[in-house]
Amino acid sequence: MSTANASLEMKTERQPWGLRDTIWTALILLGSYFAWDVFGSLMDVYEIGILIGFAAFWIWFGRFWPSIQPYSYATAVLSLLAIWIYIQNGNVYEANETAFFLKYLISSQSAIMWMSALFVIATAAYFGGLFAKSESINQFASFLAWAGAVMGTVGMMVRWHESYLINPDYGHIPVSSLYEVFILFAVMTTLIYLFYEQKMRTRAMGGFVMLIVSASVAFLLWYTFDRGAHEIQPLVPALKSYWMKIHVPANFVGYGAFSIAAMVGIAYLIVAKLKESNSQASFVQRMPSLESMDDLMYKTIALGFAWFTIATVLGAMWAAEAWGGYWSWDPKETWALIVWLNYAAWLHIRMSKGWRGKPMAWWAVIGLFITTFAFLGVNMFLSGLHSYGEL
Amino acid sequence: MSQPDNQNAKPDTAPKKQHRIQWGAFLGSMNLAVTLLMMLAIASVIGTVLQQNQPFQDYIIKFGPFWTQVFNSLGLFHVYGAAWFILVLLFLLISTGVCLTRNTPGFLKDMKQFSEGLSLNAYKHQPQSITYTPDHFDADQATQLLEQQGYKVKQHERDDGRTIAGMKGRWNRWGYILTHVSIIVICVGGLMDSNLLLKARELSGNLAPETRSVPLSQIPQKSWVGDENFSFRGTVNVAEGQKTDVLFLPYDRGFLVQKLPFTIDVEDFRIQYYDTGMPKNYASDLVLTSPELDEPIRKTIEVNKPLYYKNYAIYQSSFGDGGSKLDLQVHPLLAREFKPLELNTSVDQIETINTPVGKFRIEFNDFKLHNIVPNSEEEQAKTGKKMHNNGPSIIFKVRNEEGKAWEYENFMVPSQQEGRWFYMTGMRTATAEPFRYLFLPADENRKLDRFFEFLTLINDPDRTQATLKDALPAEGVDERTHEMQLKLMNQLLMLFRRQGFTGITRFVEENVPAEDQKRVRDYYINQTSLALQTLYLSVLEKEETQDLETISDFNKQWFEDAMVVLNSLSNYGPPLFFELKDFTHIQSTGLQITKSPGKDVVYFGSTLLIIGVFFLFYMRQKRVWLAFDNHHQTLTVAGKDTKPLPETEKEFNRLVDALQAQTGIKQ
Repeated sequence: MSTANASLEMKTERQPWGLRDTIWTALILLGSYFAWDVFGSLMDVYEIGILIGFAAFWIWFGRFWPSIQPYSYATAVLSLLAIWIYIQNGNVYEANETAFFLKYLISSQSAIMWMSALFVIATAAYFGGLFAKSESINQFASFLAWAGAVMGTVGMMVRWHESYLINPDYGHIPVSSLYEVFILFAVMTTLIYLFYEQKMRTRAMGGFVMLIVSASVAFLLWYTFDRGAHEIQPLVPALKSYWMKIHVPANFVGYGAFSIAAMVGIAYLIVAKLKESNSQASFVQRMPSLESMDDLMYKTIALGFAWFTIATVLGAMWAAEAWGGYWSWDPKETWALIVWLNYAAWLHIRMSKGWRGKPMAWWAVIGLFITTFAFLGVNMFLSGLHSYGEL
Repeated sequence: MSQPDNQNAKPDTAPKKQHRIQWGAFLGSMNLAVTLLMMLAIASVIGTVLQQNQPFQDYIIKFGPFWTQVFNSLGLFHVYGAAWFILVLLFLLISTGVCLTRNTPGFLKDMKQFSEGLSLNAYKHQPQSITYTPDHFDADQATQLLEQQGYKVKQHERDDGRTIAGMKGRWNRWGYILTHVSIIVICVGGLMDSNLLLKARELSGNLAPETRSVPLSQIPQKSWVGDENFSFRGTVNVAEGQKTDVLFLPYDRGFLVQKLPFTIDVEDFRIQYYDTGMPKNYASDLVLTSPELDEPIRKTIEVNKPLYYKNYAIYQSSFGDGGSKLDLQVHPLLAREFKPLELNTSVDQIETINTPVGKFRIEFNDFKLHNIVPNSEEEQAKTGKKMHNNGPSIIFKVRNEEGKAWEYENFMVPSQQEGRWFYMTGMRTATAEPFRYLFLPADENRKLDRFFEFLTLINDPDRTQATLKDALPAEGVDERTHEMQLKLMNQLLMLFRRQGFTGITRFVEENVPAEDQKRVRDYYINQTSLALQTLYLSVLEKEETQDLETISDFNKQWFEDAMVVLNSLSNYGPPLFFELKDFTHIQSTGLQITKSPGKDVVYFGSTLLIIGVFFLFYMRQKRVWLAFDNHHQTLTVAGKDTKPLPETEKEFNRLVDALQAQTGIKQ
């Protein structure tokens, strides 16, 4: 191993506690205290628990993955700016049509449009960097992906505020409709990808992964302009629960990670195919090794599986409270089980039979279809208790 | 369920029990496990694609009798309760169990095993191994280094030197055990909550579900279950002010009645709406009384906020009408005088009405207090509101003696359309269709009086004849022609009342030579209109407030609107109109009550599962050995990961680097 590599390696090792971490912790504690101070009267004991838990998790996460710190700062600054502008303009929803910054930049709709544009350009830039063999284009692509993630998160944060502006009765965290969770999906997938991009020190897979993000952006745009799905709707009584705040995001770590695994699987299959004809092809040289892509598939599926397990268990607990039974064989529930069984089988085959390579890559790609059906198809074709995001 | 890498496991030492071992090998094999997982997945897919537990009739309509029979015998309409599905689950349990019993002892041993007693040569053949000559090697310092890196350390004195064995991440093995135990625990919990016991009782013949919809008192004892029922989940609707001590459990194609060991009084039910008319929240004030309780429990339950009592949970699951009292006026549409019948009834009641065209059964199905609908864009601009409320409505079916039903939705108060007020009444003959609405124009008092005055006048040939004769004197024609014209008008009116203008057109088409049709039709329609106008004027005349010299725009418009209604009244079904005059709103709350002893078991299993999954994926079991060779003064560093990953090598190298920095390397 070369020394240059070794020094890079050390970067991912745990750094000693520094000023940066102190500021990070202090700001999160301050922000959480502020949230509690302002909104505490509206929260029930579980929501306060979630706030505390989230603050602790985010402090840890900021240390575990330092890049999340600037991302969080940017999101917080822009979101607060948007809210401040709303307040300056009489705190009415209609201000998003008149106030310049809201109209063009950081009202939730504008921010989401920015996110959409940034993600699509990032996809193109990643591919551009890959084919032009340009590290600077690649870096730019990463920057765009980060910026898109920030704008998407800002969009959701501001949407949360806007839902209360439209009507205090409507107010809710924006993870309740298909439109809202698609934003969550795009942001989450990008962030998980960016994490592995840093960890594996290669940007070559960016284009492939961002393809699925771009696809979800395309759906989002169609859903907005054709169906007007972006309009903020009130919650049905069954969704009015603190469980939504944890069940839905946990699910989307799973969906995001599974999607990445599938896209890496596609990259794997392409590289494997090209390698058969010419192992010295420059494309093959530029892509990560088959082994490391195989490993990344395993890691993302393991991550997704773990979170998907949590999400499904949380969902069962919520179902027990809202519908009176932890398991009702509702189509969404059942499809969550199917997804879970599929990846359980994948992991079993890999861990104990030691399968690697092409069949597993194909399986990961098929897994995406199953996941997509669970996520989208169930809403489109099957009706049941989960009919919140009908197409 | 998994075949672990068994480098550490001893070879099989029981060849004599070969037969049994092969069975075990089959049941515990990975292939079987993955096959079962996939079968479960496919069965689940079928269960979602094919709608479950629907009425049998629906399946026959969808698939035809043959396939319905085939699907039914395969249990596809109740996949999750089908015997083969349970069998797959059972096999999965056995497979998991076999795998677990086979691997756990080895794993538990492996977790304690540092393999510190191997020979120097064995270490040199580990997956990672490097041998070098250290400048100075200190066993305690090296131990410290390993401990800093999170290893547990054991030292061993060999004949030819010393071994320091380190291990970390032993929790990984616990991950395997926990995940697999958890699957068994979850399945056992699920089984506790299944209706297997009821199935057994049904098979033994002392339980039969009720399939009719009959009053509670008529349900035979065979359809009742009592306290002995271990686990259930059912629903019951209770009107405000009423109470219940039973629950209805859906079972097969019918239901069972569950006797509860307590009584629930519903003191009040409340519902709040968003401005869109969507329910925002609903809540019931309950009082739970039980002989075991000194004080009854009072609690308000809401969606997502159930009441827990012992091992029962009571949920707010739905709401509906609890028998609202309705005061109605029935207008027979063929009556010759305006004298509506009074009818006092309530939702869920059935009334019978005799009419000249037969006997009708009226089933009052529902009452809605609010009907909130979106405003059109014009209305939005005018009122600034997105929604408006059309007020209370009743939904009911009118069934004739042959059983054919018409369903109606009638509104109590008029609503505004383009500046005019109308009483809306919707009709449909199939529940799948949307309602088609008639808009009965309200008079100046916003009532229906004028409409029924007008209608009953048209219905009455004697009064019509007299009125027309009065109003249309014979001018320029002889008496006989005039008589004929009046008679024609009367007949045309009857035809119009029965079939509308299309009836007149059809009459002309069937009875008049083609070349004369247009002329005759125009004449007939002209005459009909003239007759209707004349009758309308006489109705206006009777309303003393009307000034007949100049007919107001309102009255002109009213006539047009009434004509639209009269023209299509023939398609309205049975000749009865129900006007809601007054009501007393009584709501009912839909409660879901469960007893679920398996719930905590499932939750416990789920917790094990989550912990296990994290151990399995994020704890890596690693071993390192530092074996010092006294003869050659060399140090062999060896490492082995239970599940090698690409970073294994790098991590090992990093450890070696750290070690070499400590010990130095003899040049």
